[in-house]
Amino acid sequence: MFELSLWMIPLLPLLGSVVIAAAGRRWFADACHWPCIAGAVGACVFALIAFVGVTTLDDPIAVGKDTPWISAGNFVANFSLRADGLTAVMLVMVTFIGALIAIYSSAYMKGDPGYPRFFAAVSLFLFFMVGLVLANNFILLYACWEGVGLCSYLLIGFWFAKPSAAAAARKAFLVTRLGDIGLLIGILILWHNFGHSLEYDVVFANVKTQFDAGTLDPDVLFWACVCLFIGAAGKSAQFPLHVWLPDAMEGPSPVSALIHAATMVTAGVYLVARCTPLFALEPNAQLLVASIGGFTALLAALIALTQTDLKRVLAYSTLSQLGYMFLALGCGVVVPDHKLAAFAVTAAIFHLFTHAFFKALLFLAAGSVMHAMGDTCDMRAFSGLRRVLPITHWTFLCGALALAGFPLLSGFWSKDEILAAVIEASEAGHHSPAGIIYGVLALSAIFTAGLTAFYTFRAYFKTFWGDEKFPPEAGHHPHDAPPVMAWPLRILAVGALGVGLVIGPLTPWFANILEYRWIRPQYVHLAPTEPHPMNIGLMLVSTVVGLAGIGIAYWMYVKQPSLADAFAKRAGESYDLSRNKFYFDEIYELIVVKPMSIIAQVCRIVDAYLIDGLVDLVGHLPGFLGYLVRPVQNGLVQFYALLMALGLAGFLLSILLQGK
Amino acid sequence: MSPATLEGYLVVGAVLFALGMVGFLTRRNMIVMFLSVEMMLQGVAINAVAFAKFRGELGGQVLVLFILAVAACEAAVALALVLMLYKRKKTLDVSVWQELREPDQAPIEDEDTLPPAPRPESFEHLTPAGAEPAKKQPQEVSHV
Repeated sequence: MFELSLWMIPLLPLLGSVVIAAAGRRWFADACHWPCIAGAVGACVFALIAFVGVTTLDDPIAVGKDTPWISAGNFVANFSLRADGLTAVMLVMVTFIGALIAIYSSAYMKGDPGYPRFFAAVSLFLFFMVGLVLANNFILLYACWEGVGLCSYLLIGFWFAKPSAAAAARKAFLVTRLGDIGLLIGILILWHNFGHSLEYDVVFANVKTQFDAGTLDPDVLFWACVCLFIGAAGKSAQFPLHVWLPDAMEGPSPVSALIHAATMVTAGVYLVARCTPLFALEPNAQLLVASIGGFTALLAALIALTQTDLKRVLAYSTLSQLGYMFLALGCGVVVPDHKLAAFAVTAAIFHLFTHAFFKALLFLAAGSVMHAMGDTCDMRAFSGLRRVLPITHWTFLCGALALAGFPLLSGFWSKDEILAAVIEASEAGHHSPAGIIYGVLALSAIFTAGLTAFYTFRAYFKTFWGDEKFPPEAGHHPHDAPPVMAWPLRILAVGALGVGLVIGPLTPWFANILEYRWIRPQYVHLAPTEPHPMNIGLMLVSTVVGLAGIGIAYWMYVKQPSLADAFAKRAGESYDLSRNKFYFDEIYELIVVKPMSIIAQVCRIVDAYLIDGLVDLVGHLPGFLGYLVRPVQNGLVQFYALLMALGLAGFLLSILLQGK
Repeated sequence: MSPATLEGYLVVGAVLFALGMVGFLTRRNMIVMFLSVEMMLQGVAINAVAFAKFRGELGGQVLVLFILAVAACEAAVALALVLMLYKRKKTLDVSVWQELREPDQAPIEDEDTLPPAPRPESFEHLTPAGAEPAKKQPQEVSHV
């Protein structure tokens, strides 16, 4: 039963996608959401069954261990799937959010000429995403990794006739591809150095054996970890590969919610979490992960402060929250006995889980705003929407509170665990340079939490409070979300409010799943020796910071709206810096895009004139020879016969002369 | 009368072959050209039986039997082709087919003009009852 469910989880979305792609356009163009929804809901049911299996069985569920997929020489990759605690959590999250978003999209995308294409791509995305988390070896993971990248490209560029969407899709594809190269190199390093196998268990066991025996080359492990992290940073949009995610908002809002907030961008976090047994042995790589994560969190939060596009604010907030997750993942091992590793990974995955709920909710609510406002999401164009869009308003508020870390909501618990992990890392490594860096990161993370609360509520107040104002595109009567869109919003709102409380630190249910169903059975050396206490003081601090952020936003955008402009004027250059996203796009344009396009131009000229010229010359030569002998073909039969006779005569003559 | 010699047979064969070749190269009537080809073939066949007789082996005779069989097939095919070509152009002159030359080559004109092409035969049709009889257009025949 459990084995069957493992096969069914990827199979159902794939089937849905194939059915829509093959027959949808012709036979049921207006009902194309049904196969997608059925696939997603079915996958969700089987994911829950697999989850039950993981929590009741002693061993992880694994299938297809002896199903060779690629074999070449002594290299064999199996098409094998495996579900342990980490995978089960990801599966439930991905399929649940995916099913809700598929339902929401059926109303949101109604009337679009690309309706079948949209659902085929979403269903295909779900297939690759569950494949990614189910994969039991690096090569299958890599294949699915590329698959989700492809679907992301297809869906960002869904309105491909729009130049900005096409450009955003291209940018996303190229930037993440840069990371993918890192991932591939990392996988090859692991294959080369650790037993010529790509199965997770074999690789991790070999690394541990070499580490215990003292034969491990630290440089090899460091670079393997760094390369894997480059792949993760590309997919999860971490600095310096973060530039694609804000542009990816050109896609439809449900896509932003599903792929660019809740699921695909967390694949990088999943990868690093999956490779914890590697990272735990390499403190330098961990420090790098934590620093990049912390820096991205702060940078994205600073940019989000001044953005005027609702979806862009949310995109930068996604970057920032992903940064938090990496920050937590990097906190595992300043101390040699790894006692923090399990706690840090749990914090990161817990934040991933809660973030998926409230960020998907926020994006769907933003989509509902766009739906009502005639596809405009510039916050300068509308305000005071809380009366016309009551459902959207309340659900957005739930998501915003959770994101801002309002006490007892889901974001509060998960962010708090991350802060606790960073602070413990800095304490454990005290007086060493690493400890100081972790200390700085902890301060910056707390500061970022305040910024998060501020920019989230800035967006909230600017959209839903103030004078009622609609853009001209909205028409006369903006209408709230229809029921098909409202119910996913409500369900996610309940999740955003309660999921942290139910499975979070109060009931250490989540931590237990990861620890007892993943870490302890397989990597006992990473498991903690004693339960982790709650840090009440830290909770107070983060509560105060979060509430302060909300309060300042309320003061600046509701009480005295003139204050914001005055403040922006006073800030001057730094305001411009944030507003222009620290000029990253311009810098990349200058140092990457421009030189590349110059090289491309040079290549084009060489190709068009030099290489094509040579090839054309070779082609023209036989043509010229043909031109010379063409008069022979004059259509007179006697002439041909005469030539044959003369040729034969000449041939005989030459034989006779030689014979002499 | 002196007995027949190998040379005699070979001379006859060579004469036949040469006549055939000259005929093929100079005549434009397709049926005559075809007859010339048959003559060349028979010249070769005479050579083959002569060698067979004077060297006392049967290989040459067997070869001639083959030549006869092949010539019969060839005659069937060639005559069918000639018939089809004639149907197209209503003439047996092979030079009217020089339009099959390479496209950008100039045609080779005859010094002495051809006799005028016969008008295409047209047979009377019974007029269908009721409708006005259609005017019959004479078919254009192109000569090079």
